[in-house]
Amino acid sequence: MSQTENKAAVKRGRTAIRVRHGTSEIVTTCLLVLLAAVVIVPLVLPFLFVFKTQLEFSYHPWALPKQVNWNNFIEAWKAVRIDQGLFNTLIVSVGAIVATIPPSALAGYITARYRSKFTELAFYVIMVGYFVPAQMVLIPLYKMEVAIKFNDTLYGLFLPMAAFGIPFWTLIYRSFFKGLPNELAEAARIDGAGHSMTFFRIMLPLANPATVLALLLVFIGAWSDYLLSLVLLSSQEKFTMQLRVASFLSAYGAERMPKYASAAIISAAPTVILYIIGHRWIIKGTIAGAVKE
Amino acid sequence: MSDSKGRKRIRDRRRGPFVFLCLLPAFLFLAIFLYYPIEETFRIAMTKSTGMGPETYVGFDNYIKLFNNEEFLAGLLHVFQWAFFSVIIQLPLAFLIAFALTYYRNKLTGPLRSIYYLSNVLPSAITAMIGRFIYAPKSGVISSLANTLGWKWLGAIDWLGDPNLAFWSVFALATWAYTGFPIIYLMARIEQIPNEIREAAELDGATGWHYASRIVIPDLKYPFQILAVLCTVGSLKLFDLPYILTTGGPGNATVTLGITLYRHGFINWNYGLAAAIGVVISLLSLGFTIAQFSLGREKGGESL
Repeated sequence: MSQTENKAAVKRGRTAIRVRHGTSEIVTTCLLVLLAAVVIVPLVLPFLFVFKTQLEFSYHPWALPKQVNWNNFIEAWKAVRIDQGLFNTLIVSVGAIVATIPPSALAGYITARYRSKFTELAFYVIMVGYFVPAQMVLIPLYKMEVAIKFNDTLYGLFLPMAAFGIPFWTLIYRSFFKGLPNELAEAARIDGAGHSMTFFRIMLPLANPATVLALLLVFIGAWSDYLLSLVLLSSQEKFTMQLRVASFLSAYGAERMPKYASAAIISAAPTVILYIIGHRWIIKGTIAGAVKE
Repeated sequence: MSDSKGRKRIRDRRRGPFVFLCLLPAFLFLAIFLYYPIEETFRIAMTKSTGMGPETYVGFDNYIKLFNNEEFLAGLLHVFQWAFFSVIIQLPLAFLIAFALTYYRNKLTGPLRSIYYLSNVLPSAITAMIGRFIYAPKSGVISSLANTLGWKWLGAIDWLGDPNLAFWSVFALATWAYTGFPIIYLMARIEQIPNEIREAAELDGATGWHYASRIVIPDLKYPFQILAVLCTVGSLKLFDLPYILTTGGPGNATVTLGITLYRHGFINWNYGLAAAIGVVISLLSLGFTIAQFSLGREKGGESL
């Protein structure tokens, strides 16, 4: 047994160096774990309260719940129509994906692989949008949506959302397509594939990593949106989850902690679950995206 | 590039229409929802407009009004205060964590990276909700924990209702929620430093601290600049957290530029003034972004 351990140690050549900072490594790792707990605990706390009745919470807020009580979920569900909220938010998120990804993939492909003065100019024109904060266009956007009766509709929300996302995703797709080898596309051309065939059959499948990243991040972004929804949606039944959660604050106030906790858990769940599934891609993509020149 | 030259040989008549058709969807979206509204913002900012009735041209009146507007000035101050403290508190914290996570590689430090970023993917409404959950008087986590322990003075503090504390309570929550990003970014940059440099430093007897201060920090000058710009631009756009937590209050204690824009535009229905705030926000963020670009070029156009 110790022999295999030794072998492993020899394999990892740097073990010899690491031994030297043994205690500092332990102390630092403990500190890091403690800090990670600070990140996690606020996310776990709601579970401590959510199964309690209001009375139980008032007297023993920190004890474990006596029994699992689902009433808080049911009441919160009814109070803010969480079913309706989830449905609306799902429509907005899927709509944002459908409206963002295809135009970005096409524009990214063209600006990466059909280099000319015209496409170069097109790329810069698209990138202007990258530097415009949503706040700048809120007023005219709202006025325009009222004029064309797009306000207070779900498509009136996800279409501008897509417009805000397209410059960023064009950039990501562009740098991805730029990095692909040329041989495959040329071979397809020689075999007689047209421009669109080359794109859809050969190049787009090769860009799957970028597409997976876009699916995850566009979904999370649309699911989390607050400001645009707040401005563009006005009737209760159109509200997304985030608007409902925010209005839940005024409906119940923080005194009704157990009910409150249940709404927080339900509305945070989708992004947290997606993050747990896709955290590797999300982290990689976020770093790449945030600092593209 | 060589590939574009190569393709010129296979030029064909379908190329032009294909390029045009592929760019069209992106352009339609941007033209309708971005470029037209941008032009409109500048125009509306020069008018007196309430959404109803005709707009009248007033020149630079709205901009002049802004600089006599207490709420706007408070928002402007908070934006820079927020940016300043993000840079001097969140970035060093992020560096320490990122350095420790990359310096010591063991079974725990790998998964920890993903945990630190977890709070970044929460919707801001949920982050705000957790904030209320923690800060609420009496029933909030801090209050009820303090009362259970018998620390009445601590339990009595109204974290979001006290005008002197509200800004810092929101800021602390944002530090919790958003420090994950500089951590993962700095980690990615530190990992680009070749391992040989570290091994050479350690052979020369450099401690972790020496390695950090002599080799890693100087190497991270450019990432730090980028992060500082991102912090500043982020503060300019700040809206969700302070708005959901405190709606900018008490008084103007947590007002940001985004909140003043929303209040003037969609609560007071003063479109002209709100559009002028929009122009100010974008000019400032454009200025900082240009600064980032020119800083980047100074270093020979280095980028990740």
